[in-house]
Parts: sequence; structure tokens; C-alpha cells
Amino acid sequence: MVPSFLARERTVAKPGFSRWLIPPAALAVHLCIGQVYATSVYKSALVAHFDSSLTAIGIIFSIAIVMLGLSAAVFGTWVDTHGPRAAMFVAAIFWSVGFVVAALGISTGQLWLVYLGYGGIGGIGLGIGYISPVSTLIKWFPDRPGLATGMAIMGFGGGALIASPLSGRLLALYDPSYDSTDPTSIASGHAVTMLFLTLGIVYFCFMMFGAFTVRVPAADWKPEGFEPSQVAEKSMVTSDSVSARNAIRTPQFWLLWTVLFCNVTAGIGILEQAAPMIQDFFRQGADSSVSAAAAGGFVGLLSIANMSGRFGWSTTSDAIGRKPIYILYLGVGLVLYALLALVGDRSTTLFVLLAAVIISFYGGGFATVPAYLRDLFGTYQVGAIHGRLLTAWAAAGVAGPLIVNKFLDAQGTPGELVASDYRAGLLTMVAVLAVGFLANLLIRPVDSRFHEPREGRAKEEVYA
Amino acid sequence: MTARIAVAWALVGVPLAYGLVETVRKAATLFTG
Repeated sequence: MVPSFLARERTVAKPGFSRWLIPPAALAVHLCIGQVYATSVYKSALVAHFDSSLTAIGIIFSIAIVMLGLSAAVFGTWVDTHGPRAAMFVAAIFWSVGFVVAALGISTGQLWLVYLGYGGIGGIGLGIGYISPVSTLIKWFPDRPGLATGMAIMGFGGGALIASPLSGRLLALYDPSYDSTDPTSIASGHAVTMLFLTLGIVYFCFMMFGAFTVRVPAADWKPEGFEPSQVAEKSMVTSDSVSARNAIRTPQFWLLWTVLFCNVTAGIGILEQAAPMIQDFFRQGADSSVSAAAAGGFVGLLSIANMSGRFGWSTTSDAIGRKPIYILYLGVGLVLYALLALVGDRSTTLFVLLAAVIISFYGGGFATVPAYLRDLFGTYQVGAIHGRLLTAWAAAGVAGPLIVNKFLDAQGTPGELVASDYRAGLLTMVAVLAVGFLANLLIRPVDSRFHEPREGRAKEEVYA
Repeated sequence: MTARIAVAWALVGVPLAYGLVETVRKAATLFTG
């Protein structure tokens, strides 16, 4: 099924291998695919090049996110079976080929090729790449799974932080008339073509580093001083295993799907409109006390909060438990959301603080979910189960902007509204978070009828 | 092994630090106007 140099058997770590090489291998993949959140850098250039609309260009991103969710769900079991090296290798090919096909589309003026390349082919690379290191990290860090997955998934947030300024500089290099510091400056189509080719090549090399660094632990390996029975003593952590096929038949899977869906939907509610929102909240008449540059700074601050939340909150979950940390994300999150809606316009500092904490919870929700799955379903097919759960992300990616835009469209145009125009939309998100909060409270350990027979599982793991 | 770990972390840490510095610089405009 895969060439022998990618086979799982070839990636089993030899004695003396350090597990601290696994997080950088995972980060190498996630830092590359995180570029998907930096598409705004060349959005205007593509609109001008194709003489198209923002909506038509925005579809490229939407296709990529939907393909991420679908491919993670469809290929999750394949990723678990063939191991992280094969998955990272395949993800690198899809992600890079996606850039090259999209570059061909830009240079020949065919938008459908950009949809197919970046959205379709690249989106498959996104999905496989996103889940590729998750189960491996959990197996290397059974004592601190939240820390391990937090480090990798932090990379997905960090990828946009790197790609955004880097793309601006590369566009300026390929089109000397383009000024990345001037929001009105638009790069040429040729510059975007060259940017895509450059990113495709650089990301391929970087992801190869990840693919050939990653290893799976030997079957009998465990961290020094780690006693698996101590983990199993916690009431919400199982030492049994549930297959991906059985997991989707449990109420726990769908409750967690609802939790992730609600958390992501609410986060997108702010991220979708961050820059115009802060200006609108502090608008007096035609002018806002927050400048366009400061609004851009607010978006940057939210990116940092998102990335820090992924690492910080996920690591904290190792100490306080997965269910309690989601009570925090959703319970405190809904209170903060309500405060943002009702008193957020009283001071800029208060507004920024509330939004930053909410977005840190959004990031934390993404990063903690693989460890939550491990606790409920065991390590057996956690990657495949995670892949299926990510359909919640794809669904929220559609629902979140729809909810926000529906309310805002009824009030006017973002950038010309005032704080009270946002109230109904934000309070709807409070209700969404309340649903997620209740779903999390209902999560209990998985019934033993869904567990794999211990004898059979051992055999399958050996021969996988 | 220690050198290999250091190189691996530097490979991902340096770009991440670059992105973080650039973003902090951009975020600073929120407070400076």
C-alpha cells in the first residue's frame, strides 16, 4: 500500500531515541499547513487579478476548510494504520501540489484551477497533515498528552503568524511596486504565482523534515517513571480501547462533536469580523476612536491569544482534567461573551481583554480535544476518531460566519455599524456556548460494550 | 542526540519566533494607534 521507506515498521524508534524530537517533527507539519489562515495577504491581489469578487475568492478558503474536515474523517483510519511518516509524506505532496496547481491557475487566469489546487488538493493535504502527528504524540507522551498535542496544534496557529509577514515580503520581492505595509497596495498576479510556487517548494522541504524525523515508540516503550495504572485511576480516563467505527456509535463522540462545534462557532463569531468589529464598537458618528492600523493590531493580538491558548490551556488540562477545562472554555467563555455584548463598548482595554481570553479558549478547545478523545476512547485509533470529529470544525466553519453575517446584514455593513448592532449576534453565540456547556456536562465514560477485546486488539496492533 | 534535538527545535523555533516578533510588532499598533 505504501513504499517500504514510509512503512510504519521502518519508523519504530530504536532504544535511546528521544521523544523530544517528536514535537518539532509535528510542528514542522503544522507550521506549514497553518498557512491556510494567512490567505488575507493576497486576497485583494487575487480579486484584482481575476477581476472577481471577495466572495468568489473567499470560496478558495472555504473549500480548503471543508476538504480539511472531510479528508481528516475519510483518511483517519489510513493515517492510523500506516503511521505518521507515510501520512506526513502524503500530506506534504498534496499541500505542495495544491500550491503548484493553484499557481498554474493564477498564471493562466483560470480560477477553477485555484479552487481545485489550493482548495481541493491542498485541502486534502491539510486534513491528513493536521491529524498525522496526533496519535503518535499521544503515544510518546502518555503522561502529558495535553502538552504534546498542544505543542503541535499550537503550530497550526503559528503557521499563519509566519506565513502572513513572509508572504508580504515575498510579494514585495516579486513585485517591486507592491508595498506590504500599505493596505491599499495590490500585488500583481505574477507575484502571487511566484509566491505560491515558492511556498509550495519551501513547505515541501519543511514537511519532509517532519516526515523523516518522526518515529513511533516501540510497543513496550513507556516514559521513565511512568506508571499507566496511575492514569487509569482517574474516573474519566480509560485504559480500554474503542475503534473508530464503534466510537461514532457512542453518545460521547457526538456530545464531544457538539462541544467542538459550539466552541469553534463562537470563536469564529469574533475572528470573522475582528477588525471592523473593534472599530464599530468604538464608533461615534462616522468616525471610530480605533484607527484601521490599530484594528489590524487587534487581529494580530487575537492570533497570539489563539496560539498561546492552544499550548497553555491544553497543557493545563493535563493537571485539571479534560472535562473541567471544557467547563472553563464554555462556561467562563459564555459569561465573557455576554460581557462583551453588554459592556464591551465601555472601554477599549476591556473589549480587547475579553476578546483575547475568548479566542484563547477557542484555540484551547482545538488543542485539548485529541487528549479528551484519548481519555474517552484510548490510544488505539485516536487519530482516526480525531479525524471524524474534525467534521465539527468544517460544519462550524460554515455555521459561524453564517450566524454572524445574518445578524449583521440585517443591521447594515460592518465598518459602519455601532456596538448595539452586534448585540443580537453575540448573544446568540452565548446560547451556542450554553449548548456546548451542557453537552460537555453530559459526557460520561464510554460503556464497556463498545470496548475492543483486549486480546484481539493486541494482535491487531502488532500486525498493523 | 542532544545536538539533534537542538537543531530540530531551532528549525521550527526560529521561524516561529520570526512570526511572533512580526505579529507583536503589528499588535503594538493597537496601543500606539
